[in-house]
Amino acid sequence: MKIIASYNIKGGVGKTATAVNLAYLSAREGNRTLIWDLDPQGAATYYFRVKPKVKGGTRALVAGHHDLDNLVKGTDFAGLDLLPADFSYRNMDLLLEDNKRPTKQLQKLLAPMAIAYDYVFLDCPPSISLVSENVFRASHALLVPMIPTTLSARTLDQLQEFLEGHDGLGKVNLMPFFSMVDRRKHLHVHLMETLPESFPTFLKASIPYASDVERMGLTRMPLPAYAPASNPITRAYEALWAEIKEGLARSRGG
Amino acid sequence: MNEFAQAYLVPDGTDLQGIKDAFEGRYSVTEDEPQELIRRFYDTFDWSLYQAGSLLEERGDGSQRELIWRDLHGEAPTLAWSTDRDPGFAADLPSIPEIDRLASLVGIRRLLPLLDVHSRLISWRLLNEDDKTVVRLELEQNRYVDKGRERQGPISVLLRLHGVKGYDEELQATARLLQQDLKLSLARAELLEEALAAAGRRALDYSSQLDFRLDPQRRADATAKEILLHLLNTIEVNIPGTRENLDSEFLHDLRVAVRRTRSALTQIKDVFAADLVERYKDAFGWLGEFTGPVRDLDVYLLDFNDFQSSLPEALRHHLEPLRDFIHAHYGAEQKALVAHLDSKRLRDLLRDWRAFLEAPVPEQSVVPNAMRPVKAVADERIWTMYRRVRKEGRAITPDSPPEDMHELRKSCKKLRYLIEFFDSLYPKQEVRQLVKLMKVLLDNLGNFQDLAVQADHLRDMAQRMRDETHASTDTLLTMGVLVGHLLEQQHRAREEFAQIFATFDSEGHQALFNALFAPAKRRRKGA
Repeated sequence: MKIIASYNIKGGVGKTATAVNLAYLSAREGNRTLIWDLDPQGAATYYFRVKPKVKGGTRALVAGHHDLDNLVKGTDFAGLDLLPADFSYRNMDLLLEDNKRPTKQLQKLLAPMAIAYDYVFLDCPPSISLVSENVFRASHALLVPMIPTTLSARTLDQLQEFLEGHDGLGKVNLMPFFSMVDRRKHLHVHLMETLPESFPTFLKASIPYASDVERMGLTRMPLPAYAPASNPITRAYEALWAEIKEGLARSRGG
Repeated sequence: MNEFAQAYLVPDGTDLQGIKDAFEGRYSVTEDEPQELIRRFYDTFDWSLYQAGSLLEERGDGSQRELIWRDLHGEAPTLAWSTDRDPGFAADLPSIPEIDRLASLVGIRRLLPLLDVHSRLISWRLLNEDDKTVVRLELEQNRYVDKGRERQGPISVLLRLHGVKGYDEELQATARLLQQDLKLSLARAELLEEALAAAGRRALDYSSQLDFRLDPQRRADATAKEILLHLLNTIEVNIPGTRENLDSEFLHDLRVAVRRTRSALTQIKDVFAADLVERYKDAFGWLGEFTGPVRDLDVYLLDFNDFQSSLPEALRHHLEPLRDFIHAHYGAEQKALVAHLDSKRLRDLLRDWRAFLEAPVPEQSVVPNAMRPVKAVADERIWTMYRRVRKEGRAITPDSPPEDMHELRKSCKKLRYLIEFFDSLYPKQEVRQLVKLMKVLLDNLGNFQDLAVQADHLRDMAQRMRDETHASTDTLLTMGVLVGHLLEQQHRAREEFAQIFATFDSEGHQALFNALFAPAKRRRKGA
């Protein structure tokens, strides 16, 4: 089981679209796939038409009172399940604090899912918190979608500083990539040329800005599920997914 | 999603729209594009998968084929794998640990197609207020297609209920609706079973095991005919598979049925006219004879890998020319076998034999045992044969010639067959214990003789390989090592005999034979 997180300190960068669409592509290939919507806003949950509700709320979940498996909902797509968001996830930080090993609880909760799933995608809330630290420790790949702007570049620096400043996080498999790219904007083009130079693990695939992605809120399903196969955004996600799998295979080999 | 969810029977003439309408109000229903599905069921000729409570089916849509192996009782997990060829032999299955059990069920037999079920699938999804799928239903309109027998026809319409993970309440509610409101009942039989029944077939219609339920008071001649008729059916049912050489067990089962036929003819003594017995004994002797050469080669091929792995690693590849040699001669032997199977002589033999067996027994018979109750005849025969086995066995010493062992084996086989023919006349457990006992003794005697025969045969083959194919010195020497192994094993079998026979001849076992088969006078004495 490989755990892949979609994360950024900033919001509104396409984290949820990334997690939802990649999870869909993974399942479409026949991988048993789970997506965990960790964001109390519940956007991924909404995309899959599931009610944002977890039995017993975050407290029972974090304490390990339920098997995660009992909280999982089947989506409308074969091989793709969802662990829904719950509004009480906003308190997850506080509840994690109460644990003996507060930064490893997520990893512990996910461990038993290894029999049932090949890939787990984590759709993470923005900001740096105890939840995100848990995510960093649990993940085999940390996807960081970023809009090619100066501010985004700063948050990537911040993230890297944070990872390097914490024991055991220096080796996190960081995979930043450009999201919501608008090639008509000079700044976007310029940053896309320069930024990857200072981040060797920067992925080559990027996701263009498109109203199709925004339409996911109306169709309430992953983009490749309703867009034709030739859709450029679908193609972009497919390229991204291929590159992530390559990266994972390399890190396993190395 | 559980592929093999609960299936409900939809009675003939049910208004399908009516079923769909029943969900309206609670859920909205969407219907997906109908799909066609072809399922092909496989099993070995002797139903080894079905007997073990499992089904193997292939699903295909033209471009992709998937094999699905599942437990009928839901105890073992369902396994599915994609494939590009027919299942065939165990070696054709993917070699992963989970499928090893399937391979071991298949054994040396070939997986053969049983029949096909063609289905038109209409999928309904029940959506909640968020338009989320919470339950799936699959309406399955089925027809069976039995290509081998050129038959086809409709079978049940099924409605399969599939839950969506995390939506159990909706699943339960839908199940209630189907059962209580729509009065649908759960399908009890498997689709395969229904398809077989519709095609006029049934599962487990073949077994190489004997399973008679005899009436102890019935006339011995009529009972002998019943036994022989069953054996004739076994012979005949195995001929097509032997002809086509689907797997080596067709020929094997055929030969066993022939041996048993000869044994029943000669060992159920004095129930038919002597000249008839003599005639058919010879005729079935001929059948046993012409089926021998292919069987010999089969045995080599079946044992080949074991032969090879019994050799030191460095020698193993030198044995390959032997395999090639066997394959090279196999075709000709099989052809000769088929010619015999297709001959008028065999056709006439089987036809006449069937006519005799199916004819009613004469009202009066002068043949001494014909009209006696079968139990009395069986008791006498088994008792006599048991005493012969005991006498011959006790006479064997470490210096006895191999011929004595051979004679004992023949007697043992006769005894075993007799017990198997008549086992339903005796208490089950005791008889089973005796058959097991006989098997151990026969295995030992069989090893002793067959290994020697095989060693001889191998020497013979080496000679022919040298003459016909100029086999290399390495190959001939390697075959020599093999001959050495065989003779060593044979030697071991000879050494073990005394112990094995002593167990057979223990006081407890003597008492058991005595209690079951000895004449009444003696039985009382023994008791």
